[in-house]
Amino acid sequence: MEDHQIIHTDQTTDNNAWALLRHRFVLLPLAVGAVVAVWNVYVATHDDGIVRGRVVSANGQPVADAIVKLNEQNFTTNSERGQTTTRADGSFEFTDNRSHSIQLRAEKLGVGRSELMPFRLYFRAQNLTLGQPLLLQPARP
Amino acid sequence: MQASAIKHKRQPVNRYPHWPIHLALLTISFCMLLPFYWVLKTSLTGENIFSYPPSLLPVNPQPFYYVDVWYFIPFARFLANSVIVSGLSIAANVLFNAMAAYALTKHFKGRGLIITLLLSCMMIPFQTTIVPAYLITGKLGLLNTYLGMALPTFSTIVCIFVYKASFEAVPKSLIDAARIDGLSELQIILKIMVPLSTSAVATNVILSFIWSWNNFLWPLIIVRDPLMQPLPLGLSRFLNDHENTTGALYAFCIMVLVPGITIFLMAQKEFVRGLTSGATKG
Amino acid sequence: MATDVLTSVAQNPSRNPPGKSGGAGMSRKRKRELILVWAFLLPSLAVFFLYRVLPLLWNAVLSFQDFSLFGETKWAGISHYQDMMEDEVFWTSLWNTLIYMASAPVGIVLALAISLMVNSNVRGKNIYRTIVFLSYPLMTVAVGIIWRWMLDEKVGLFNFILRSLHIIDHPLPFLQSFELALPSVLLANVWQILGFYMIILLAGLQNIPQNLYEAAAIDGANGRQQFFRITLPLLRPSIFLAFVIGIMTSFTSFDLVYVMTQGGPGNSSELLVTYIYKAAFVLGKIDYAAALTLVQFVLLVVLTWVGNRLSGGDAGAVETD
Repeated sequence: MEDHQIIHTDQTTDNNAWALLRHRFVLLPLAVGAVVAVWNVYVATHDDGIVRGRVVSANGQPVADAIVKLNEQNFTTNSERGQTTTRADGSFEFTDNRSHSIQLRAEKLGVGRSELMPFRLYFRAQNLTLGQPLLLQPARP
Repeated sequence: MQASAIKHKRQPVNRYPHWPIHLALLTISFCMLLPFYWVLKTSLTGENIFSYPPSLLPVNPQPFYYVDVWYFIPFARFLANSVIVSGLSIAANVLFNAMAAYALTKHFKGRGLIITLLLSCMMIPFQTTIVPAYLITGKLGLLNTYLGMALPTFSTIVCIFVYKASFEAVPKSLIDAARIDGLSELQIILKIMVPLSTSAVATNVILSFIWSWNNFLWPLIIVRDPLMQPLPLGLSRFLNDHENTTGALYAFCIMVLVPGITIFLMAQKEFVRGLTSGATKG
Repeated sequence: MATDVLTSVAQNPSRNPPGKSGGAGMSRKRKRELILVWAFLLPSLAVFFLYRVLPLLWNAVLSFQDFSLFGETKWAGISHYQDMMEDEVFWTSLWNTLIYMASAPVGIVLALAISLMVNSNVRGKNIYRTIVFLSYPLMTVAVGIIWRWMLDEKVGLFNFILRSLHIIDHPLPFLQSFELALPSVLLANVWQILGFYMIILLAGLQNIPQNLYEAAAIDGANGRQQFFRITLPLLRPSIFLAFVIGIMTSFTSFDLVYVMTQGGPGNSSELLVTYIYKAAFVLGKIDYAAALTLVQFVLLVVLTWVGNRLSGGDAGAVETD
């Protein structure tokens, strides 16, 4: 309450503005707003939905023409959202990921398939470059 | 930022050592805070939902359950619903209660009757009116609307009496002077009564905030549309859908609690004073 | 702030219409004031009529009818009340509600101890007060979820602690057992409402004049005597106030039980309000729910009356003038 009274009785407008600005009910929303704004700018510049990575075989060689599938994971459902094939150097790229919780799996007939790798993103369609390549394991007999 | 609004008087000389008191209070504080910690830990790890024994400290904390809540549940929408309903309720409360209380400071025929009526209305808790209140709201066509959710909380009797006591403490000479100067009744309220009753206004704002923000039973009855749900209802429906199969439930829980806790910590003194005067007057 | 007002009044001399307080104008002015009074009262009265008085009356009417949303509504006499007498769930929920009220005395005894401690001059007492009070203004639905999780059978913290200390061999299904469900909800309720009792009692404690203690100390009264001769008698109104409010809120409690147990297992933790809710909005027996509500209301009035009589009329009383 005392803070309010300071605001009312202070005669100089300059002091008034400062007192109002330093008031916790003004300061906190402003701070929250600033954080949200910065975060949104960051999100807007990093949400192109690009997922990049590489596929290698068990002996570490890049695998060309492997099929990579992208699944979207919900609380209860898991559905396929797209697939692509790797280039000659084993790299692949999705450009249309719209989810924040995805799973990737690579597969090539004759070479094997990788495990279903889950990736959690901080926001929807965040650009992602895989640190570890997807490793194709020979299919078990 | 004191927990008590009441000024501290001299304390009796304490001849006992303080450590047993500290020990007892620390134990109590620990018990009061433990549930918060436990839910926060689960929301950040989710590790012990399916595993036993649980680890006491968070292992590999990650914020992804919060991301899930943000996208899979329309959390922003629920938050907006809650803010709109509470905002409506608080605005109407402050306005209507101040008006009614100002009217009650006047002398007019039927004043005693109105006060008796209000006092007996106070005996009717909202929970004992839900069935017809639902039918009435349906007849008004307000099911599934913000107005329907907020309308029953538009005026509170306790707050009318808080205002009334505060208005009656305003010196009569001040009002007479203002009237001689030609201020209208509305101007008298806005320029004299309300500025001199800031603590009553604060009490009213806080009480109506707590009541409308935490209100659960009423939205549960009248809101069927998933997009119109305020936070408590959204949380409870989420619980019904998923039980405790995901850490997102606890992330949701924390996200729902954070605005309330923040406001409480910022206006703690006013909260305590508001609830005390709300209770003693009611 | 008063100076502020005066300056603002002084700044508006032009608004002063001459001769306003003339004798002939008095009745017209009086009339205008009356219109204003009623116009100011109207919004609040409308809300109270719509959501307090009218529901109460309609409730009474409904409880004697066979209500149907679409078909014809017929009179049913007292058949709903006869059904109620034979309805075991009703009696269970009434009994459970009475047990649930125990959270008031339990909470008040605890809160009394806490408020005595935080009213002393220990360091950090404000922090302790904040921590104890923190849980009260929180959303009850969230509190219910927190406690569901604490009391979980397989991985809850309570079972973990009890098993680690070898107090129990097998995990207790707190919320799924017939005996433990209601006490578990009661525990959560005490945890939440403790801070509220504390601030009520603290306000009472701080209203006790300190010179009474000083005088007693001079007369050689020890701490225990001071507590029983001064603190407790002078705190009686506050304790009663907390007690009456606690009883009332327990009697109309809904959120915690709904979230934590849904009244189950079976009907072992059903309260009156949860049963009314279920009857009206799950089973669709609007008329029967109205009868239940009316009985609850009558019981509530009796409780309030008894409470006021016992406290000598000073609990929950508002000075009317």
